[in-house]
Amino acid sequence: MTTPAPRVIVPSSAAKGEVVQVKTIISHQMETGLRQDSQGEVIPRKIINKFVCRYGGVEVFSAEFFEAISANPYLEFHLYATESGLMEFAWEEDGGEIYRLEHQLAVA
Amino acid sequence: MGLTRRAVLVAGAVGGAAALLSPAGVRASDDAAEIVKQLTGRRALESDRLRLVMPAEFPSGYTVPMEIHVDSPMTDADHVRYIRVFAPHNPLIEVARFNFVPQRSLARVSTRIRLAAPQDVIAVAELSDDTLLMAKTWVDVATNGCA
Repeated sequence: MTTPAPRVIVPSSAAKGEVVQVKTIISHQMETGLRQDSQGEVIPRKIINKFVCRYGGVEVFSAEFFEAISANPYLEFHLYATESGLMEFAWEEDGGEIYRLEHQLAVA
Repeated sequence: MGLTRRAVLVAGAVGGAAALLSPAGVRASDDAAEIVKQLTGRRALESDRLRLVMPAEFPSGYTVPMEIHVDSPMTDADHVRYIRVFAPHNPLIEVARFNFVPQRSLARVSTRIRLAAPQDVIAVAELSDDTLLMAKTWVDVATNGCA
C-alpha cells in the first residue's frame, strides 16, 4: 500500500463567528478484515480508526471510524471561526501510525 | 472483536420478548428502537431534529454517501455531544462515532460508508441533557460493500 496521503480543503480566512466548512480525505484502503486473498487467507483489518481536528490547541471535532467507513475516507464537518490560529488534523491508523496536516486560519 | 451482527441477533432473541416497550408518542418502529436499545443499553426517541440523509437507492455498497445533521445551537447549555451510526445488516454493525464541541463545531457531518445489503441505517445522537435521539433511513444498495 502506498503511504496514505491526507488532503484538506478549508478557507484561509473567515470572519469571527462565521461557519467554516472543512473537507478532508485520506487515501487509504480501509481493509475491513472481512476479505480473503487468493489463497483463502483472511486479509487482516487495517483502517484509519480515528480522526481528530484541533484548532487553537483545542480539540474541536473528532470521529471514530469502524470497518463500515469507505476506502479513502471522506469527512466533511463545520467549525465556528473563533480566532486566528493553527488547525491541526490527525488521522490515526490501526497499529498506531498517525498522519498529520496543518492549516493556518486567519480570523478577522 | 467488533459489534457483530451475530452478537446482536443472539442478544435480541434472548431479551426481545421482555424488552418490547413502545412508549406513547414514539414513532420509531419497534425493530429500530429495539436495535438501539441493544446497542446502547438506552432508549432513544425517534426525532425529526436528527436528520440522516442518504440516497434511497445507490448502485455501489462500497461508498454510500451519508450526511447527518442536528439543528442545535451548540451552546454549553444545549448541544449535541456525539452522533453514532449503525448498519444492522452489515457483518460488523458499528459504522462511526462523531464527537462535537459546543461553540466550536456544528452538529453536522458528511462521509461515505459501506453497506453489505439493503437496510435501515440508524443514527443515534446524544444531547447535552442526556437524552438520545434516533433516526433511520432505508438504503437499497446493489452490491455488497463489505466483501
